[in-house]
Amino acid sequence: MSDASPHRLRIAGAIDFASSPESTPVTIPSHVGHYIDGAHVEGQQEGRFDNVNPSNEEVLCTVASANDAEVDQAVRAARAAFDGPWGAMSGADRGKYLYRIARRLQERAREMAVLESRDNGKPIRETRDFDVPTAAAHFFYYAGWADKLDYVMPGRKARPVGVCGQVIPWNFPLLMAAWKLAPALAAGNTCVLKPAESTPLSAWALAEIIHEAQLPPGVVNIVNGAGATGAAIVGHSDIDKVAFTGSTPVGRIILRQIADSNKRATMELGGKGAHIVFADAPLDQAVEGVINGIFFNQGHVCCAGSRLLVEESIAEDFLGRLRRRIEALRIGDPLDKNTDIGAINSAEQFATVQKYIGIAQEEGAELWQGCANEPPSNGFWVKPTLLTGVSQTDRVVREEIFGPVLAVLTFRTPEEALKKANNSEFGLSAGIWSGNQARIFEVAHALNAGVVWANGYNLFDPTSPFGGIRHSGFGREGGIHGLYPYLRLEA
Amino acid sequence: MRLSVEKTLKMYVGGKFIRSESGRVTKTQSSDGSTMYAAHASRKDLRDSVGVNRKAQGGWAGRTAYNRGQILYRLAEMMEGRVGGFPTTDADRIAAIDRAVHHAGWTDKITAVLSSLNPVGGAYVNYSMIRGMGVIVAIPHPEDGLVGLVESACQILVMSNAGTLLIPTEMAELGAAFAECLHTSDLPGGALNILTGDVEALLGEADKHDDIDALLVSNGAVPKAAWSASKEQGARVLRRLVMSGRAAQPAGPETFAKLCEVKTVWMSAAPEVPAGRVSY
Repeated sequence: MSDASPHRLRIAGAIDFASSPESTPVTIPSHVGHYIDGAHVEGQQEGRFDNVNPSNEEVLCTVASANDAEVDQAVRAARAAFDGPWGAMSGADRGKYLYRIARRLQERAREMAVLESRDNGKPIRETRDFDVPTAAAHFFYYAGWADKLDYVMPGRKARPVGVCGQVIPWNFPLLMAAWKLAPALAAGNTCVLKPAESTPLSAWALAEIIHEAQLPPGVVNIVNGAGATGAAIVGHSDIDKVAFTGSTPVGRIILRQIADSNKRATMELGGKGAHIVFADAPLDQAVEGVINGIFFNQGHVCCAGSRLLVEESIAEDFLGRLRRRIEALRIGDPLDKNTDIGAINSAEQFATVQKYIGIAQEEGAELWQGCANEPPSNGFWVKPTLLTGVSQTDRVVREEIFGPVLAVLTFRTPEEALKKANNSEFGLSAGIWSGNQARIFEVAHALNAGVVWANGYNLFDPTSPFGGIRHSGFGREGGIHGLYPYLRLEA
Repeated sequence: MRLSVEKTLKMYVGGKFIRSESGRVTKTQSSDGSTMYAAHASRKDLRDSVGVNRKAQGGWAGRTAYNRGQILYRLAEMMEGRVGGFPTTDADRIAAIDRAVHHAGWTDKITAVLSSLNPVGGAYVNYSMIRGMGVIVAIPHPEDGLVGLVESACQILVMSNAGTLLIPTEMAELGAAFAECLHTSDLPGGALNILTGDVEALLGEADKHDDIDALLVSNGAVPKAAWSASKEQGARVLRRLVMSGRAAQPAGPETFAKLCEVKTVWMSAAPEVPAGRVSY
């Protein structure tokens, strides 16, 4: 935590930071294929694409694109493992495999962090302190459930669902893989996982760890590719359950695709989180919270606090503090330990964020961008952005931007704050800052969101169920509720 | 021989017995073989009913869990008092009344079963609690008779939802008798509505509606193609689609878990606001 007083910040801005790159060596393969039936395979030649480091636009490796036949191979392997060794295994032994994975992840944590940072563009500080340890913690948490499944639902026997098709996004590549695989495996299912096309590296390393842990072949299959590969997994007739994290429009496509089947689904989709700051909040801490809410991971967070609702009486003061704090954020080399703001993940996402900044200006918003330094010339960079003078009906207030762009609105009464916060078709997350505990309870419980943070934001824990309501999707990940989607609970 | 008075059965919406706004009725037979007519719900009736549900849901969910249980038990009492009035078998009557008693006991207990206190790292009290989904349109299985109606109604009401049951014309007499019990049970108007008519057509209208949170269908109550269509249409608004078991067994917590939303709250629990995991 830093002192947010203007005095300290001026000094911070006056001193040049010496770069402090994370130097742990990593091996990046020249080509990333698939991990099917316990073996790394190169994948077909056709459709291979380049994986670009978003912080310098250099090609990291080529990536295979699985076709229907390769996906079918992976699903068959998963089915055979489910009908074979994995299905027959005791919960205790399944748990021990998951513990092994968790431990190996911890042991290779620094390497995983560097890999993730280079692949995704996010700051090493985040991959090192958040992505990797939280992923390992997720495996540890669900490992312990594997032999306790009959305690999940009173009076019900717990049985696995079968073969799970899991499609994950690029914003937290390793963590999302952990969120998907850990509960599914603990529950006794087998998996076919597709990493996002722009971030295959940490899943590739995770496949190595899974291989080292000697999981029976076919229990976890990882296939790379873009939308068509995802559609092949989701649409495969032998998939029992689909788990998707990504955008709401893609979630709708998947739901339509599986409508005529008995496949189960969980959907972790988009959001437009409201972050409410009351006048009685501890303001400097609220500033940190708001920054953590929207600029964490460059705003590539489904639950990002992308709508700031600040009480009118303190709005000017608060925005002043917020701007001063933003002006101390360092943007640039994701591998530099001093970096606060990394690269936008891809050229496509950079274009999306720029498009919304353009829309904001057309809608009459006042645009403010700040940072402690200028971003590098290569790579995809967006400085932390504030949009003021916006209204409820503006697209930049209603639609998910998925970038470091914060829309600022004000309110006068708690009722108005609630009304504005709940005026969204999404319902994933919300935050409240206040020193009045009774008010926090009242507002927290009245917010229409799957997750509410009081005096905090973007906090995650494997024990804590996460997921949305309304257009933010359904199903929970984390905690005991995260097991429900992966179990048949029978009398 | 006396000329009988032919009855027209009404539907139950917002605590009132209503005719279809279209005026349409369908000829059917009462359980004693005499001719009767049943209101035939239109698309607008469905829309009105769902609108009434939406208005009523907050009030129903805002009641104490104890009070909701009292009202469902009162429903059982009202059914017991009219036990001879249900055009169904004795076994169905008894099962239905006992089912209402069973579910009445869930209202103040299911929260404890499906909620959790999560031991997160950090100075937060972290809890996941259940909340009603909102408005549910439900289709009981016609072959499940009265117990099917009670089961669907209670699945909606136990979880603090409001909803509309869609039943076929042939069940209108049973539905009307059940509605009279709902009406005298202190259930707030609009918490549960009953529409009669062409169930599949009404489901098709529900599919087009954007303000229904969930569809709840008893296994086999609608053809598979209709259910697939509901799923496909539901994707537009990320609607929850729940297929529950037949009414022979009462819904348990695993079914209730599909009829609520889990909300996780990270409640700050320290006088000093704690720092996040990743601090700037």
